[in-house]
Amino acid sequence: MRELMYLQAINEAFAEELERDEKVFLMGEGIQTGTFGTTTGLVDRFGPDRIMDTPISETAIAGAAVGASLMGYRPVADMMFSDFMYIAADEILLKAAQWRLLQGGTQQLPCVFVANIGGYRKLGNEHSQCPYSMMLHNPGLKVVIPSTPYDAKGLLKTAIRDNNPVIFLYHKGLLPVMGEVPEEDYTVPFGVADIRREGTDVTVVATSFQLFWAEAAADMLKDEISIEIIDPRTLEPLDIDTIMTSVRKTGRVVIVDEDTERCGFAGELATQIMERGFYDLDAPIKRVCAKNYPIPGGIMEKFVLPQPEWVVQAIKDVMVD
Amino acid sequence: MEFGKEDLIKLYVNLVRTRAFDRAAIKWLATGKLLSFYHPAEGGEAPGVGGTTFLRKDDVISPHLRGHGLPHMIGKGVDPKRYMAEHCGKATGFGNGLGGFHSAMDEFGMFGGTGTLGSCFPLSAGWGLAAKKNGTGQVVVCFFGDGTSNRGTWHEAANMAAVWKLPIVWVCENNGVAQYMPIQDAYPLEDLANMASAYGMPSAVVDGQDVVAVAEAVMAAVEMARNGDGPSFIECKTARFSAHGIGNPDKLHGKDRTTEDIAKLRERDPIVLFRTSLLEKGVLTPDDVERIDQEAVAEIDETEKFIDESPFPDDPALLDAALYAE
Repeated sequence: MRELMYLQAINEAFAEELERDEKVFLMGEGIQTGTFGTTTGLVDRFGPDRIMDTPISETAIAGAAVGASLMGYRPVADMMFSDFMYIAADEILLKAAQWRLLQGGTQQLPCVFVANIGGYRKLGNEHSQCPYSMMLHNPGLKVVIPSTPYDAKGLLKTAIRDNNPVIFLYHKGLLPVMGEVPEEDYTVPFGVADIRREGTDVTVVATSFQLFWAEAAADMLKDEISIEIIDPRTLEPLDIDTIMTSVRKTGRVVIVDEDTERCGFAGELATQIMERGFYDLDAPIKRVCAKNYPIPGGIMEKFVLPQPEWVVQAIKDVMVD
Repeated sequence: MEFGKEDLIKLYVNLVRTRAFDRAAIKWLATGKLLSFYHPAEGGEAPGVGGTTFLRKDDVISPHLRGHGLPHMIGKGVDPKRYMAEHCGKATGFGNGLGGFHSAMDEFGMFGGTGTLGSCFPLSAGWGLAAKKNGTGQVVVCFFGDGTSNRGTWHEAANMAAVWKLPIVWVCENNGVAQYMPIQDAYPLEDLANMASAYGMPSAVVDGQDVVAVAEAVMAAVEMARNGDGPSFIECKTARFSAHGIGNPDKLHGKDRTTEDIAKLRERDPIVLFRTSLLEKGVLTPDDVERIDQEAVAEIDETEKFIDESPFPDDPALLDAALYAE
């Protein structure tokens, strides 16, 4: 099968959905140029009215996306860095997420907020966040964090076709990663986890870029421990059933997630697993997350962001009787 | 736009209906029928009524918070019955009893109100962008108070609207006070319309107690926007006759507004001013005035009956149905 980079898969998903539905348009800062290549070249094909470069105005971009979606358009607001979504918290968390319920479910808001997440680039706290726990905390949004080129394309197409606001967060560390992407049209459904590797001793749930750390750890431990790796792919809706099936088989769980540990997705998932399967667990659940510090600039980030050896250690920890 | 006799009567009727609903809301809040809180429109009805009465049905409005948008939705032709039912928490409201005062009526171009002041600006930019893309001459009129345009969202949206030539009319209902904050301490400007020049937008300052002056200025701006000439800004100098919200003290910087201050504002009641003028011109007779008042009372009675006969929503499954669209 053909291979594409993750960033190319995202770009191709945009192009196909822009082609498919004239109500789809993109707006964001510098997207005609494309800071990360995810939107580069689209303006040549679809013109500046559908690939709209905006002033540096995150609240206006996000609010305009919400407004246009209420009038039947399918806007994609490219927020560039997910850290910049904090600026538009009212528009994303109180408006996009919650508007429909406050109107008694009489309306639809088919908009997508796209942004990159993640660290390991020494960019410091305002260009390295993974703010999806904040999104999940506000009911009404769907949250998508793909880890492969195949999923990035298929999930983005699903996001644009969805009749609800969707947060699509791609990891900047994955942008050049190559993977198989079929040429024919396909989508990846929300709420279906991907079992990346089958195993019987430990369930490792890993999100986005952390999947690579989980796989590296599994490789290192392959002669001693049989590890099952699950990528949830979408955090809302969350495929808890697939995770619980695995937990019932292994009885041991490590959750690897790049968001800050405190009040993060990992803690939420650990609680859901405990509530559903406390008696299936043979050891306390372990989290491997960003430590509870601001993400420092420079090389000090390695003491805050999850490292492969932390995952190895966590797996060993849950293996004790 | 030239206003004929019918137009003037329509404006007057909408003002009277607005005042009647505003008073009903205050009364119903006191008796526990109206839920949450209420921020009366009294004294500041003319910008909303004048700015909406002659819009097209498919034009979009973003109502101001005062009277929780009653002046604007009455002017726009929305039946206030279902808005009031929503405000009273009833299942027959616009939001099926889930929305409170944040009501929407899509087919009248009213996509909903906001609780965080200033979020109306980016949303209006989006409505303006969609209107422009529709290419049917649709216009967005965004109403806000002088306090609201202190938000940074105003700058972002005004700039975006101007640079993209979006069909938006920004109508500032300047009543000189934001909750307890007098305007002279919130802006270094005499006229807020001067903000428009920073974005290259034309602007006008009008007497916000003169409903005809408001309608003329807003409709001129609407025509400009319809013709593709971009956004503009109308500042209406208006008044707030009572405290910010029912139950709030009527203070500025912690000191009471004086009865003299309020009496002076009430001398320029937009309904009294307009009624006097219409009677003088012979557009209305005293009998007409009496009849219009009675019709407003009858509409309130009918609305109250509708609300009283409506059930409260009580099925938690409504939350699931409203959370996500299919």
